[in-house]
Amino acid sequence: MSALSAVSISIQRRFGRQRLRKILLGSIPFLVMIGVWHANTVFEWLPPVFIPSIGDVWEAIFFLQEDCAGFVPLIMLDNSCLMSTHILSSVGRVILAAIIGLPFGIAFGILAGMNRTVSKFLEPVGVFANSISGIAWIPLAIVWFGVGWVTTLFIMLNTIFWLMFFNSMLGVRSVARVYEQSVLTMGGSRWDVIRQVYLPGAMPSIITGMRMSMGFGWRALIAAEMIGGDSGLGFMIFTSAAEFKIEEVFLGVIVIAVIFMATDRYLLAPLEKWTVERWGLVWKPT
Amino acid sequence: MNAVSAKLVVEGLSHHYPDEYTGESVHALEDINLELYEGELVSVVGPSGCGKSTLLNILAGLLPYKVGTASVDGNIIDGPGPDRGVVFQEHAILPWRTVAKNIGHGLEIRGILKSERDRRVQEFIDLVGLTGFEDKYPHELSGGMKQRCQVARTLCSDPVVMLMDEPFAAVDAQTRITLQEELNRIAQATQKTILFITHSVDEAAFLADRCLVFSARPGQLKEIVEINIPREKRIWADMNNDPDFITARDRILKSVREEVSVAKEE
Ligand SMILES: Nc1ncnc2c1ncn2[C@@H]1O[C@H](COP(=O)(O)OP(=O)(O)OP(=O)(O)O)[C@@H](O)[C@H]1O
Ligand SMILES: [Mg+2]
Repeated sequence: MSALSAVSISIQRRFGRQRLRKILLGSIPFLVMIGVWHANTVFEWLPPVFIPSIGDVWEAIFFLQEDCAGFVPLIMLDNSCLMSTHILSSVGRVILAAIIGLPFGIAFGILAGMNRTVSKFLEPVGVFANSISGIAWIPLAIVWFGVGWVTTLFIMLNTIFWLMFFNSMLGVRSVARVYEQSVLTMGGSRWDVIRQVYLPGAMPSIITGMRMSMGFGWRALIAAEMIGGDSGLGFMIFTSAAEFKIEEVFLGVIVIAVIFMATDRYLLAPLEKWTVERWGLVWKPT
Repeated sequence: MNAVSAKLVVEGLSHHYPDEYTGESVHALEDINLELYEGELVSVVGPSGCGKSTLLNILAGLLPYKVGTASVDGNIIDGPGPDRGVVFQEHAILPWRTVAKNIGHGLEIRGILKSERDRRVQEFIDLVGLTGFEDKYPHELSGGMKQRCQVARTLCSDPVVMLMDEPFAAVDAQTRITLQEELNRIAQATQKTILFITHSVDEAAFLADRCLVFSARPGQLKEIVEINIPREKRIWADMNNDPDFITARDRILKSVREEVSVAKEE
């Protein structure tokens, strides 16, 4: 008993009580899901053609990577390394779309937030583009750009840019006027105001926008890959399903979710912590 | 006074706010004339809505005006500039900058070297009693500390005139008394030229060399009360028994009361 509590105390010291609690609470639903999944295999409620066993899904990784001959074919997106090729192709597209879409969305959003003429010019077309949700563009994009990476990139950019645009615009408009005025009365220029007031002041909205646009963008990408792609996780799921390889479909879905959770946890959440939380701009639940 | 040049001059200033919806306009200021001399602290009191903030915003360059002229050191005011520092009524220090970076903001904008900047920032941090809080963010400060930080930020930029719009209105009574005594000490130490707007007659009489009483809207200069008490004698514990202070305060109070009743009758 005392040894056990000593271990528990040392674990708590190492990770911190709060964090440990958070990790434990968050993993309960997953543990339940895994339990039910495994129970299904044991008691055969639903046959393996519908729900494969955990072991089959695990083995699908090695099956898909079977002929992969090391690092070089892996990064060359060699057809033998099927799974890593699809992952890298999806992730690569997400990164590309983020590099282009996020800065442009933020820049135009800030511009529209501070200037009525710009917002009057861009808002209607933005509402129009947003109303046709990401996926609904797919048929048109296939007609225009054919099946392949241009189509998937177009779908993602469309989603990311406009979400970022609207969030940044609203963010700038919510910044108290007195901050802008105080920079101006200290002799600051328009550019000083943009960098020192609008950008940090709009940060809560910008981060929300990033989370939304990466979330919706990622989903739009998977959908686009299914219908209009020639590689990527969406494409992999779709082709595997057509060949009734249910374990590969499961694997694909899990990988998609894990990649997105990791992005949110290791990129967006720390950004939030180091900016808006430190500045006291958001309310932190205890 | 004549030997000293006027730092801030306002002549025949009037202001109307147009109303977009009704097409009517609000007459906020009427024919204001005033002069602020170097090293002088002038307070402005008047009933709510008489145009005090309007005057301050015009002088800060944040509100364009059409009738009359206003100038600082002989330069006509036509926009905000570092020669006029403003202390706002709301919390106006930037939440995403630490105390030290907020106070040094004006110097940073002017491109002053970091070593020189740090030295001056520390001087003003000490002056307003924020030592030890240099690296804190504004949300970690109390309301009174935020206003001290704002005062230090404006002082650190070294403007020709300082414009203050009810800077202590949002803090509790005890802190307000401390801040008033601190501002008195700072005014003495820095010899800044200050225009100080307030609701509080006590505050106006305690701080000012001259107090301007404004009439009800449209704001006009109704009366000027001079308060000739040396700065070193201005401590709240003594002031409440000081005959000069009491006379000045009662005079201002009477004058403002008349205007408040006029404003109510409308
Ligand atoms: N932006 C504005 N647009 C239209 N009218 C305004 C505007 N700002 C102020 N006013 C009007 O001008 C008049 C003077 O306002 P101002 O804010 O200068 O008063 P004040 O003396 O500072 O009052 P208080 O002591 O309550 O702060 C008021 O009647 C107000 O309604
Ligand atoms: Mg006011």
